[in-house]
This record gives sequence, C-alpha cells and structure tokens, in this order.
Amino acid sequence: MAQRLEVLLLDDEPIVGKRLKPALSKLGCEVEIFENPSQALQRIAQKAFDIVVTDIRMDEIDGIQVLEEILKKSPRTKVIMITGYAMMSVAREAMGKGAFDFISKPFSPDELRKVILRAAESLGQPMDFDATRAAGSE
Amino acid sequence: MAVIIISSNSLPKAAQIAAETAKALNYRCLGRELLREVGEKYGVSEERLHKTLDELPSLLGVNAKAHALYLAYIEEAVLAKLSQDRVVCHGLAAHLYVRGVSHAFKVRVLADPSELIRSIMREKDLSPEKAAKDAKHEEALRSRWSLDDYRVDEAAPSLYDLIIDLSRMVPEEARMAPGEAVRIIMETSSHPKFKPMTYSVKAVNDMELASRVRVALLEHFPDVIVQADGAAVVVETTAVPREKGKKVEAIEKLVRSVPGVGHVEVHVANDIIRQAAESFR
Repeated sequence: MAQRLEVLLLDDEPIVGKRLKPALSKLGCEVEIFENPSQALQRIAQKAFDIVVTDIRMDEIDGIQVLEEILKKSPRTKVIMITGYAMMSVAREAMGKGAFDFISKPFSPDELRKVILRAAESLGQPMDFDATRAAGSE
Repeated sequence: MAVIIISSNSLPKAAQIAAETAKALNYRCLGRELLREVGEKYGVSEERLHKTLDELPSLLGVNAKAHALYLAYIEEAVLAKLSQDRVVCHGLAAHLYVRGVSHAFKVRVLADPSELIRSIMREKDLSPEKAAKDAKHEEALRSRWSLDDYRVDEAAPSLYDLIIDLSRMVPEEARMAPGEAVRIIMETSSHPKFKPMTYSVKAVNDMELASRVRVALLEHFPDVIVQADGAAVVVETTAVPREKGKKVEAIEKLVRSVPGVGHVEVHVANDIIRQAAESFR
C-alpha cells in the first residue's frame, strides 16, 4: 500500500480546516489542522510534512514567512498558498520564494484535491485521480 | 500554459524576437496571422482588423462601434489561445488586455532608433528626416490608441516585466540580431515567479469567458462591462428606468447562450445622460 501523505493545513479561519480536512482525508492524506501560525511552525520544526497548505493573510505571522520557514527546514515539502486577497504581486512573490501553487479563495475541495494530486506526483507519490474522485464523492 | 507577450515600437522587431523566442522554447508563436482566423469567423476583412490594431477609429476608416467590436473579436481569439497553450504572443495588443496574470511575462523591446528610421525609409521610401518624423508620429499614435482603448499608455514601463533597449546592446551586432534579446527573455521568464499557478490560470480562464460574453453582447449592447469568476458572469450596464427590466432580460438571455456560463448577474445603473436628455423633450 502506498505511503499516506502527511499534510499540515494552516488557516486562522476554523471553517477552512473543518471543511477541507474531510476532503483531504478521503484522498488518503494524514491531515493536521492549525489555526495559529506559531503553533504550526512549532509542529513543522518537529516533523517534516509532505505538503503544507497555508493561508497567506494571518495575524502575527503571514503565510509568506511560514513558506520561508518550511522550505528552510524541509526543501522537499510542497507548500500550497491559499488566500482571499489574491493579487498578482503576492502570487509572484510566493512562487518566487518556492511555493508549489497559489490558489485564490473561495475554491472548492475538488480544486484543492487536484493541486494535492499534482503535489503528490511531484513528490514521487502519485495518486490515482479517479479513485480519489470516487473517494471524494462518497 | 506559460505566456510571453512581446510588445515593441517596431512591429517587425517584435515579430522577429517573438518567433526566435518561441522556436527556442518550443512554444507556439502567436501574431497577426491570427487575424485571418478571426476575420473568417466573423466575416470581417483582415485589412479592417489590421486597421483596428493600428489606427484610431475614424469616419473614413473603421468607425468607433466597429473598432470596439473588432477589438473584442481579437481579444476573444487571443485569450482562447493563451488559455490552451504555451505561447509567445506579439502584435495583437495582448500586453494591454492580459492584466493581472502572474504567468504572463510581458516584454517591451525598444528598437534601435537609427535602425527603426532606416526601416521606415526602406518601407515608405522616405528621406531620413521624414522617416524620423514618421517614427515620432507613430509613437504618439500608439500612445493615443492604447490610452483610448485600454486607458493605459503602452509606452509606460510599469506595464512590463522586462524592457530591452536594443540600442544599448553590447556588442553592437546584438542590436541587429535577436539572439541576445531572446537569451535575456528566456533567462528572465524562467524565474519561478512567472510559473503558471492555479490562481493565474483561473485568471486567464475568467478573462477568456468574459471575452466570449462580451462578443455575444457587444453588437446589441455596446456599453457593457463584463467580468467572469468561474462560471459566474457579472454584466454592468446602464439604462433608463422604464427600459431596465427589458434590458436585463435580453442581456441574461444572450449571456446564458454562451457555453461555460453558469450564473448571470446584470447590474444596471441609471443612464443619467439619456434620462436628462429625455426630461428636456
């Protein structure tokens, strides 16, 4: 059986984690949710995740800082940035600093699923798209 | 779906550099030959489409209504290609309407003035003085054209990610051959910040859908502003109060006929100019 992808999901809006966790779990990912960036960074310091999905605009520490910290510690981690305040300059900054992808909110769980599948493939752990879609519609 | 858009004060220079860049990157090169396809689709002569891109609307040339319509046809065709392919685009004014797309890498190539004047002399059989005057006139015309149609001066550096001034190329041979400019474009555009991402791909898809909706509406409703977000389309227009309901209904019907449209909203502001004119009758 293929190894489960370890995913950390960071967003200061609790509804985002609540909504996305089931969708990612159905994909076969192990998901840890955080609403506080400092706590998320502490966890990242303890464990190298395969994929991190992080909001950009948060109090205290923003998503770009989170991205830099993650890649410093674990360059192989795929970091997916999500934001409700998408702008070309921020998108370019994030990609320039090594983000795997950048998604503007609102998005459907299916859209995130597609990005996760691409990230999995790029990590050398491809997932079966049809199987994951079937799982997602359960 | 990476995109490089090349604009220049010399169309042949933009075409030459675009073709070389596309070849080197194995991208599709998209230029004025697209106008034939657009003309065939909409029954407009290629010559009139060229005029639309090169000239201001005029009574003797392409009138204002047709000018806006033909531009919408061209934008629709260009955006359809940009949403499907890896493209180097030139000569189609894409630098003016492909905005806010982080993976659209925009380049301005400034031709060597002496070479530009020599090419005008050859092309139009003019003296050096007259060719220099012609070049200046053309530059002013391009600024007016872009300001009139897109509210931005195409000579403004802030529009571009990279500006290459061929007259400052060293060694001197590089001013004539596109190789060095192509190398700089390839190198700079390969930076990760210009990579397509979900957000930027969606931005192009939204623009493409909005352009198709505009084409569907413009002939009947030339005053519309269209925006798309996924399958949702918002149309802004004006009307006098007594015509509002009828206009909304007609717009909604046309928009729903466009493939890919899921939800339609029509926002109508009062047409205060018509309202004032009618109240004086």
